[in-house]
Amino acid sequence: MDKLKQEFTTLTLVLIPVAVAINLAVGQLVIALKLPLYLDSIGTVLVAALVGPWSGALTGVISSVIWTATGWFPQAIAWVGVAAVIGILAAAFKQGGWLDGPVKAGASGLITGIVAAFLSAPIAAYVFGGVTGTGTDVLVAAFSGTFGLDILGANMAQGVVSDPIDKLVTFLIVWALLRSLPVRLQARFSGEE
Amino acid sequence: MTSLTLFRPGKSGLHRLHPLTKLSISGFCLIASITLPDPWMVAGLYFFLMVPLAAWGGMARRFLIACVQFIGPFMLSLFPIQGFFGRGTTILFEIGRFSLKQEGLLLAADYTVRILAGLGAAMLLMFVTRPDHLMQALSERGFPRSLGYIVVTTLQILPRFQEKTQMILNAQRARGLETEGHLLHRARRLLPLVGPLIMGSIIDIDERAIALEARLFNHPGPKTSLHPLVDSRAQRITRSTLSGLIVLLVLWRLLGWLSP
Repeated sequence: MDKLKQEFTTLTLVLIPVAVAINLAVGQLVIALKLPLYLDSIGTVLVAALVGPWSGALTGVISSVIWTATGWFPQAIAWVGVAAVIGILAAAFKQGGWLDGPVKAGASGLITGIVAAFLSAPIAAYVFGGVTGTGTDVLVAAFSGTFGLDILGANMAQGVVSDPIDKLVTFLIVWALLRSLPVRLQARFSGEE
Repeated sequence: MTSLTLFRPGKSGLHRLHPLTKLSISGFCLIASITLPDPWMVAGLYFFLMVPLAAWGGMARRFLIACVQFIGPFMLSLFPIQGFFGRGTTILFEIGRFSLKQEGLLLAADYTVRILAGLGAAMLLMFVTRPDHLMQALSERGFPRSLGYIVVTTLQILPRFQEKTQMILNAQRARGLETEGHLLHRARRLLPLVGPLIMGSIIDIDERAIALEARLFNHPGPKTSLHPLVDSRAQRITRSTLSGLIVLLVLWRLLGWLSP
């Protein structure tokens, strides 16, 4: 409980809305650039790396709530748990020193992506009948049709193809950001002032 | 904030209800759309409870349009995927080695109705409830106040963020950044766009934290509100009834699963 209080300083409470806005704004920017990625968790990973697991998880949760509340992607709320897990994993990688170099940061992204894929697929399969109402549904249909996978399997395959690349790019962007953020600011988050 | 979220102001009785009453109505509809055994019952719930509620709030048209907008893409994927790749033995017709199965289509229809009612319930709540009032009502019931602050602040800074994104995009385009072209080209353009956006916004949060602390943001103890929320005995009874019904629905469904 003390650990929890320690994470949620005023500075963290101010950071989280900015991070959620980053998640949503970059998510929309990616759509504008027509890239086959989501990049909707940069803010989550950044908060997890700067502050810790609980704030990272909370950033993911609030982002899902806002995607729903704005009506931009109402179904996001169903994956709220996955968004939280991404924050917790990112904090764990940071604490293990994995976000210090580009290779390890990329590897952390790949692992996070695989975990996210395996957690997301059952939600798509059982809550929404195997679809998400987005462009990646085409991949689900392709995997089902080409390899004869059942609907859960095809969702897993789609996730394993899309998510690791997405999280790899996300973690590399966060690694680059951490390198360029002022040291003074980073120290304030980790409570080392 | 009002234009960003689904909320539209209004003077209807539904708008004037206590936020928690609306939350429990929405929660009941959501749970019912998952647990009711027959999709026809879910459809009934949607057309005979949720649509009339939206009409009471003066937004039947807006609600129906929003529902069509989100259920459309779902149906577009659900029917082909479940129809062709789901389990089933009743083959309607075949294209090459793929066969369209009746069971798959029925299951897709079942999912469609439940997604429509479930997400519709969440959207109905958003349409008629001010986000800040909902967070205020929750924090009055012991929900951490800082969570309310985070949600409301996010909704307030999002429009500014979108403006900033557009500005950076235009500025980089003016410098000759191509946002069209080959996939890898576009991917490489991401960093000069994302970098300034994130760095710019993180640098000034320090000042905001100091401004909040100077106004005793972290001060413990009760705080008064500028807009007190109105509640009534009838609403409290409605909320308890709905909460009871939610528990019953979940128990009923669990029992159904346990005893085949």
